[in-house]
Amino acid sequence: MRFLPTTLLFTAASAMAGAEEIRFNRDIRPILADNCVACHGADEATREAGLRLDEAESALADRDGVRAVIPGDPEGSELIRRIFSQDEEVVMPPPSHPVQLKAEEKEKLKAWIEQGAAFEGHWAFQPVEAPEVNGSGAAAIDSFIDERRDELGFGPEDEADREVLLRRVALDLTGLPPTDEEWERFLKDEDPNAYERAVDRLLASPAYGERMTMWWLDGARYADTHGFQADWERYQWPWRDWVIRAFNDNMPFDQFTIEQVAGDMLPDARPDQIVATGFNRNHRINTEGGALDEEWLIENVMDRVETVGSVWLGLTLGCARCHDHKYDPISQREFYQMFALFHNVAEQGKGPGRQGNFEPVIHLEDPEKLKRRAELAEEIRSLEMELRPWLSKGHQNLVKQPFTARNGNADNGLSKAISALKQPEAQDLKKRVLALRKEHGSLMSKSPSVMVMKEMSKPRKTFILERGDYTQPGEEVQAGLPSFLPPLPDGEKMDRLGFARWLVSRDQPLTARVQVNRLWELVFGTGLVEASENLGVQTDWPSHPELLDWLAADFMEHGWNVKRLMKMMVMTRAYRQDSRILPEKLERDPKNRMLTRGPRFRVQAEVVRDQALALAGLLNREIGGPSVRPYQPKGIWSETNFYGNLRNYKHDTNGQQYRRSLYTIWKRTAAPPGMTLFDMPSREICVVRRSRTNTPLQALALMNEVTYVEAARKFAERMMDHGSTSEEMLRWGFRLATARMPEPAELEILVKGYGRRLEYYRANPEEAAGLLKSGEAPVRDGLDVAELAALATAASVILNLDEVVTKG
Amino acid sequence: MTEMDGMLRPNRREFLRTSANGFGLAALGSMLGNEAMGGVPFLDKPHHRPKAKRVIYLFQSGGPSQMDLFDPKPVLEERHGEELPESIRMGQRITGMTSGQKTLPVAPSIFKFAQHGQTGTWLSDVLPHTAKVVDDLCIIRSMHTEAINHDPAVTFFQSGSQLAGRPSIGSWVSYGLGSDNRDLPNYVVLSSRGTGRPNDQPLADRYWGAGFLPTQHAGVKFRNTGDPVLYLSNPTGVNRAGRRDMLDDLSALNQRRHAVVGDPEIESRIAQYEMAFRMQASVPELTDVSGEPESVLELYGPDVKRPGTYAANCLLARRLAERGVGFIQLFHQGWDHHGGLPKALRGQCMDTDQASAGLLMDLKQRGLLDDTLVVWGGEFGRTIYSQGKLTKDNYGRDHHPRCFTMWMAGAGVKKGITIGRTDDYSYNILEDPVHVHDLNATILHLLGVNHEKLVFKYQGRQYRLTDVEGHLIRKALA
Repeated sequence: MRFLPTTLLFTAASAMAGAEEIRFNRDIRPILADNCVACHGADEATREAGLRLDEAESALADRDGVRAVIPGDPEGSELIRRIFSQDEEVVMPPPSHPVQLKAEEKEKLKAWIEQGAAFEGHWAFQPVEAPEVNGSGAAAIDSFIDERRDELGFGPEDEADREVLLRRVALDLTGLPPTDEEWERFLKDEDPNAYERAVDRLLASPAYGERMTMWWLDGARYADTHGFQADWERYQWPWRDWVIRAFNDNMPFDQFTIEQVAGDMLPDARPDQIVATGFNRNHRINTEGGALDEEWLIENVMDRVETVGSVWLGLTLGCARCHDHKYDPISQREFYQMFALFHNVAEQGKGPGRQGNFEPVIHLEDPEKLKRRAELAEEIRSLEMELRPWLSKGHQNLVKQPFTARNGNADNGLSKAISALKQPEAQDLKKRVLALRKEHGSLMSKSPSVMVMKEMSKPRKTFILERGDYTQPGEEVQAGLPSFLPPLPDGEKMDRLGFARWLVSRDQPLTARVQVNRLWELVFGTGLVEASENLGVQTDWPSHPELLDWLAADFMEHGWNVKRLMKMMVMTRAYRQDSRILPEKLERDPKNRMLTRGPRFRVQAEVVRDQALALAGLLNREIGGPSVRPYQPKGIWSETNFYGNLRNYKHDTNGQQYRRSLYTIWKRTAAPPGMTLFDMPSREICVVRRSRTNTPLQALALMNEVTYVEAARKFAERMMDHGSTSEEMLRWGFRLATARMPEPAELEILVKGYGRRLEYYRANPEEAAGLLKSGEAPVRDGLDVAELAALATAASVILNLDEVVTKG
Repeated sequence: MTEMDGMLRPNRREFLRTSANGFGLAALGSMLGNEAMGGVPFLDKPHHRPKAKRVIYLFQSGGPSQMDLFDPKPVLEERHGEELPESIRMGQRITGMTSGQKTLPVAPSIFKFAQHGQTGTWLSDVLPHTAKVVDDLCIIRSMHTEAINHDPAVTFFQSGSQLAGRPSIGSWVSYGLGSDNRDLPNYVVLSSRGTGRPNDQPLADRYWGAGFLPTQHAGVKFRNTGDPVLYLSNPTGVNRAGRRDMLDDLSALNQRRHAVVGDPEIESRIAQYEMAFRMQASVPELTDVSGEPESVLELYGPDVKRPGTYAANCLLARRLAERGVGFIQLFHQGWDHHGGLPKALRGQCMDTDQASAGLLMDLKQRGLLDDTLVVWGGEFGRTIYSQGKLTKDNYGRDHHPRCFTMWMAGAGVKKGITIGRTDDYSYNILEDPVHVHDLNATILHLLGVNHEKLVFKYQGRQYRLTDVEGHLIRKALA
């Protein structure tokens, strides 16, 4: 209850019979946020009439006898007069404002003033203190949840069926359905703690790290290309593998933070700590020919500041780029002080027009390979010099340049020209050059280097940019922090490392709140603060403010232990409830913010696919390494882009096409549609909350995309191993996919449908054979083609079930 | 639609929260069962009476050259090869492609201009078909933008920001006005390659992306190879009857589950599958132009018979418009003429001139032009000075954001006028500057939307397409 300065709460007016107690942060601030503060908020430049409504001092001030707010006197308050006015010239917000006050909001403002107009500071900026609670761990969480739910007059739901629960928790902790082995162990385990033991096993499985990495990559805008125009390939995957390892090793979140933000500046930094700083180089890099270095150098830094602000602080720092932040107390000067922290990198601004990683980088490959690449580059160049007589004038000039310094497009052209050489006397040289180029290419694409942060020895100066424009530098500034947040911890230097440590210092109120809220969202579907991407002044009031603070405090006090936090959440009774929705609960708790039932929502894009592969027995469980190429629609990379090295997409055929979706090669300007259709962001900028939509295009993908058709027929083969009648096979398949036995009526639907389509395929064997050709996986020998095809259609029905794409 | 996230209009959300008599639940069911793509729109009704029911936006990607098409500068004929005066450039930035060039020689257009139509509007001789409809056009010679390179410039046109992350204009329209279309998506994108410069500037998915809006508002890009809509076709071995049969099973199972679990999202999913099934019929019907009479095809020119060309896409645009699709956007590539402009521009005009004009005529003869807004233009203009070597009959032009030409036609737009004036070098605007935000504000206005009031709260801020800018192009409004 720390948010409430209790002395201010109880005023004479609030004692009025029946009056609901108004709380500023819960009831009033959101109204001001949507309707008033754009003109009466933190930004001095756009503040009207010098009036600020979200702070007592200004709101209560006397302006020539007019006071916006007079505690206890709504009639005398100018605010009330204005919002109820019928006069277009007088009424607030003005008619042109995009949002208008609703009747009940006006009444709330009135009641708040009647009750004494108590103001509070923004809750998320206050220090994190754990409220008192009974019990600890999961029980503590449940006591917060119970309290709010009881207020609604609802009891909890019973615990979900244990198999359903195992599926739910496996999807949450590993992003996959339970493995066969896990099913077996769990079903045999009759211990009362069987569920907890399963949770521990899931947390210990390597798939856990992959699942958490999926969570982290959107915010880190991780991808395999530079993201502009030609959209050349880059190789940042060792950074992604660092994240997987960090989660699997349960690296404390404070260390996880420090290494990613400033691992390069740690004393005697290890290579892996330097790799971690790839986080701040994952942004797009403009490689367009006409781009200007000065402009893009600034944009790169902007992206870092915005991303770090969003991922760790839950703030929209970028809003202070051009002017003081409109809502949060961040001045433009303070923005550039933080900008200075990320500005001191020896980078060029735009990137050269070629694939590969741009300086500064750390090389991880073994020195042998590096040496071989250098040799190859030299050999290629000298052989190509010999080819000059047969080359065009432009290419003759080009081959004089060192192989690795050439413009990528131009070099591609050269390579094509060499391939096309017909003269007999050039053939030998041509063959040798092409072979060397191929070898070089293969070494390049697997080249483990990572773009990282590296401080310049002579620091780059930072200026306030007028209106955020790189051509308009103003006053010079030094690195610093926003003054509304606690200062740097004692003994720290005001550099990127000091900043990183500050991010995870105990007094800094945002990082822990932001992280526990997002992890809550991951598990329960909605954050305690729904707008999990922003905990600034404009955010929502949390559904369970005390719980949020308790979690944040507990997280910090237990060493930022992520696995512990995840376990605590999935051990709660709230989490373990049945997820069916009673009509009255749907009405009064439509979004399940009060946890009146277990979480139920569609799984995220990667899980949709990974699950299908797992059920089909196709999933390749290899971890880490270069990105891979699953099935994608023909021409996906070439239809709208004729530049760059990523064209003519060809899927892998060596089993790599069945790797988990987080390894799928990600071209930002033409991202895998199978993922984006299911709400995966394009990874062009930091996004920390996905939308969750339900569209016909998703239906088409799940019905027709080769991934899912192939998965269905391989799933059907597995069903055949687990039964001799259609009932047995389909019962097994249904159960594996949903974690429950089908009702008799459900099984009947599946069996009859199978029967009808079996008849069809018996009569049309070529159709059956056609269906079974989908994808690369061979059809197992000796199976009846019509039966398998018919069963594949039933398997497809199962894979398309709402229940299967839903964690319920 | 989303799981009740950002999609339900405030009043409906409120209604759900407060309704206690059981009616709310029934309403919820029907609401989530909304079978049109895009779900419940943000606006209950338009802000004012719309002039346009739909938009066909003919985006000319790469930056068409204004002084070779729409903005004649006869006075320059005598200044061939002279250095661009500093009094004109005024220190303005130029791209990295010509900033290192020793001279910036003036390259007068080699194309001949003449007056056309009753309005006597000047057009270059590479636009003979546009000349026939010139009296229907509202030509804006005074467009200007902030970006100087393609990727940020197209992004700026499409989303009001040079950087990635904001919703595209079609997504805003889909979000704001929703769709009653039960068979087709509401924002459709078509692309074609230019023959003037076949390997030209790429298009990024972002250009029609939904940004921070829910994903279903993203433009659906019709593809030129394979299925027009991704994953539209059933796999080999499953015909339409077989698909229906499987869907019936799926629907029956989902309904049974809904009876137990009570999650309205299941109903929504059932509805989405039904729409998918309808699309499997409606999209092929849409793209099958075999029933179009020869007289109509002739309007668009010979390319119309080759799928994937600009002309074929213009015809599809008309068919989409007839079928109630709200925002149809064509991207024609190939306008980025840094060198060899005269030849390349001819190629581009061969691709687009007749088809653009034909589209207008076809819309007009069907009465569709009265409630369809057509917009033509690219992300910036080109420089008067030559990039690379200037000769008597050849030159190239670099990017020029300070002035360029676009046109609008149709619903709510004044006919046969030219807005704006540029200086002798088509370098700076002298009269009536029109910013990208102004154009976007005007497009929304014609659709009945006040651009200042179509907002989406993201990261604590109410975002809009036009940021904090945008003024209606009053002179363009009929």
